[in-house]
Amino acid sequence: MSNKYIGKAVKRVEDKRFITGKGKYTDDMILPRQTYAYIIRSPYAHAQVKSIDISQALATEGVVAVFTGDDIAQSGINGVPAGWQVNFKNGDIMKEPPHPLLVGTGSTVKHVGDAVAVVIAESKEIAADAAELVEIDYEVFDAVVNPVEAVKEGAPLVHESAPNNIAFDWEIGNPKAEVDEAIANSHHVTSLEFVNQRMVPNPIEPRSAIGHYESSSDRYTLYTSTQNPHLIRLLMCAFVLGIPEHKVRVVGPDVGGGFGSKIFHYTEEALVTWCSKQIERPVKWTSERSEAFITDAHGRDHVTHAEMGFDKDGNVTALRIKTFANLGAYLSTFAPAVPTYLHGTLLQGLYTTPKIHLDMTCAFTHTNAVDAYRGAGRPEATYLLERLMDLAAHEMGVDPVELRLKNFIPPFDGVNQPGYQTQVALQYDSGNYHEVLRRGVAMLGYEEFRKAQAEAAQSNKLLGVGFSTYIEACGIAPSAVVGALGARAGLYEVGQVRVQPTGKVSVYTGAHSHGQGHETTFAQVVADKLGIPLEDVEIHHGDTETVAFGMGTYGSRSLAVGGSAIVKSLEKIIEKGAKIAAHKLEANEEDLTFADGKYTVNGTDKSVAFGDIALTAYVPHNYPAGLEPGLDFSSFYDPANFTYPYGCHIAVVEVDKETGKVSLKRFIAVDDVGNVINPMIVDGQIHGGLAQGIGQALLEGAIFDENGQLINGSYMDYCMPRADDLPMFELDRTETPCPHNPLGVKGAGEAGCIGSTPAVVNAVLDALWSGGFGHVKDILMPTTPERVWRAMNS
Amino acid sequence: MQLTGSHTLAAPIEKVWQMLMDTDILAKIVPGVSRLEKTGENEFEAISEIKLGPVSGKFSGGLTLSDIVEPSTFTLNVSQNSKIGNADASIKINLLALDAQQTEISFEGEAKLSGLLARTGQRVLSGVANTLTKQFFTNFEEEIAS
Repeated sequence: MSNKYIGKAVKRVEDKRFITGKGKYTDDMILPRQTYAYIIRSPYAHAQVKSIDISQALATEGVVAVFTGDDIAQSGINGVPAGWQVNFKNGDIMKEPPHPLLVGTGSTVKHVGDAVAVVIAESKEIAADAAELVEIDYEVFDAVVNPVEAVKEGAPLVHESAPNNIAFDWEIGNPKAEVDEAIANSHHVTSLEFVNQRMVPNPIEPRSAIGHYESSSDRYTLYTSTQNPHLIRLLMCAFVLGIPEHKVRVVGPDVGGGFGSKIFHYTEEALVTWCSKQIERPVKWTSERSEAFITDAHGRDHVTHAEMGFDKDGNVTALRIKTFANLGAYLSTFAPAVPTYLHGTLLQGLYTTPKIHLDMTCAFTHTNAVDAYRGAGRPEATYLLERLMDLAAHEMGVDPVELRLKNFIPPFDGVNQPGYQTQVALQYDSGNYHEVLRRGVAMLGYEEFRKAQAEAAQSNKLLGVGFSTYIEACGIAPSAVVGALGARAGLYEVGQVRVQPTGKVSVYTGAHSHGQGHETTFAQVVADKLGIPLEDVEIHHGDTETVAFGMGTYGSRSLAVGGSAIVKSLEKIIEKGAKIAAHKLEANEEDLTFADGKYTVNGTDKSVAFGDIALTAYVPHNYPAGLEPGLDFSSFYDPANFTYPYGCHIAVVEVDKETGKVSLKRFIAVDDVGNVINPMIVDGQIHGGLAQGIGQALLEGAIFDENGQLINGSYMDYCMPRADDLPMFELDRTETPCPHNPLGVKGAGEAGCIGSTPAVVNAVLDALWSGGFGHVKDILMPTTPERVWRAMNS
Repeated sequence: MQLTGSHTLAAPIEKVWQMLMDTDILAKIVPGVSRLEKTGENEFEAISEIKLGPVSGKFSGGLTLSDIVEPSTFTLNVSQNSKIGNADASIKINLLALDAQQTEISFEGEAKLSGLLARTGQRVLSGVANTLTKQFFTNFEEEIAS
């Protein structure tokens, strides 16, 4: 162990290749004899495919093959299932119609972008041109896009097998009758109906996949822009194509962002793999940006009615929620888990609320699938709680900071005090929630702000402050717990540490980096634990052939779970190294100390360097009897609990009374993500998350018309946050170590996106309240100038 | 997408009406039309090619006229398909004689779009629609003058 790297802002080693344009993404790969696939997609949200004529396309020079859903069906392939099972309240299994790779003749397309045929050609251009020659006749039906409308009697059905478009209903918390009673007996009830709008993840690299079947070995390789290579292989082999898993290699090379949207097993991955077998040539498909808008899984999309009860002293007495969640046309890999176990279980927030009940209805609609998007369920829970808190403070005429402090769970470290058992299944690990809020408020300069706000209230530029505090369940996840909750996989992680004979170290992790900087952070941990230079460590990930197994990266799990697996292997290395060192130094193992890269006999200056131990392990001429040569260990780490990062976000906005335009003036974030390995990378993760959370509050949101057409499916109309929409962020952090993993880390990837959205909307409302518009309870996100202006002028 | 507009033509209302009802003339003045065939009473088949910025494609499909009140009003129903998406529109067209030599045409309607057409920037599409309308009236004026 040394202290050279952990906790230091080490520059990211991977950035050199990214910044110089030398990253290797799936679409950069050109395999010998590679062909190009163009997927023909439905322009309608709900229509029956009456006929498909491929003859003209097939006759085009340069076209290798054209396949339709009928070809796929003849191979006995049903489609892609979900990776998580949630049951109805009454115990029935959720409705899970598989997502066909291509929709065949006589079947119905379920959303704009549903795939109908694939043209494979010698070039991308030939494939696209020939696709125009495929004649498809559709009979168009009415569509439904809103989850509340979808479950009404008589709404157009997405799947015959799912009556009233209900995929499943679900509840969590205390018995409903108890919560009803507590609400009825409350001194004050704050009630709010609101929408958490649908978000398009928009990673900078569109999805891409290359299927490569080699008949010589009867083996397949799938290169794909995924966050999750091993799980893709498992799902595709076992549940979609029926290929033996040992015959398939999945590689997720450099991946340009995912934000959740690349966790899932998509139909295109199975399609190119299947096509490659048919033509015995590699088949590449790369999504166009416009295609990404209608095929990537979206996020959020909840319609909620929530009520929070208080006693006469302002203590929360109960929380009652009815939410409709839109799951889109098919169940994507983690879709059933997001509105349930990643959302319902977080409704305790940071508060001591004694009674909580969530009633959830998850609906199919004629839109693309909705699944995890940065934060996944936890931003929806935080938005709900924090909007209610600021609104309740406004209604009761109390200070929103005081109201939170009064209701916070008291500090506990999870070691001397037990973890906190919530009403909604989870047990929080450790936290000091008062501290992050107090720090944030101090950074704001609260009293001065209220004075400035009072002055501004007389002008045309209103000022507002919005508060938000959050907690998230990260480090996903204890396998036994998620298994009991319906996950069809374990959520442990694998870390292999291979010390080379020269003492250089190769590390293989099942976590996957698509922008998070694993190659740096993980190397910092390894270098310090072994006391060797950072340059002597290389991190490998993303290839099922080199990494034993893995569950990928999402849910802020990489360091907490993947890092812990590596630490376990490092401990085994150090322990075995001690046996070799004891032999070399002619000492007892117990008398040795390992520090700064060498084993030293306690109380002497006799020592042996780690590099010597490595060489001896591989050249075991003079070696302990009975000890195996080599220095290479692999470990599986299954966490004992989730980790629980938390924090406080504060937004200050200016609202133009005449135009309704909102300008974000300040943004303060005090986060506790446990111990920090690389503060620069953590800050970067927070910055990115904040941009996306603020984007939801002010700018972004998918809009479907009543026919199921996404009418803002391009960057001309879908408004992404840009640097000039954002102020310089003011960050601080507290460090409350996670008590149950060896690094004490909690995860930082999603925090920014979870806490920020309600802070901004609360600030907009606070500005309006200060300007005499106290009656406004809600403004739909994104809070565009038009919506804010209408709220003031209604 | 909403479609509205108006334009004044230097021709008597009867002449404007007559030209609008003439398939050969329409085929000449509607932008991008390469073929317009009468398939029945007030029913036509049209093939057109449009290239304007992001909207570039070959459209084909039917046109029908309904609610005809000579010489003042009719409704044009358009159902055009293309690889970049389909357009279904119903447009009410009104003619008003301003004086013996001047006629105002106004139109009002809504187009339902699907596929890539629907996803393409709405502001861009409105621009495309305005450009096409302008071209139509310019062609119309030239036809009157010829």
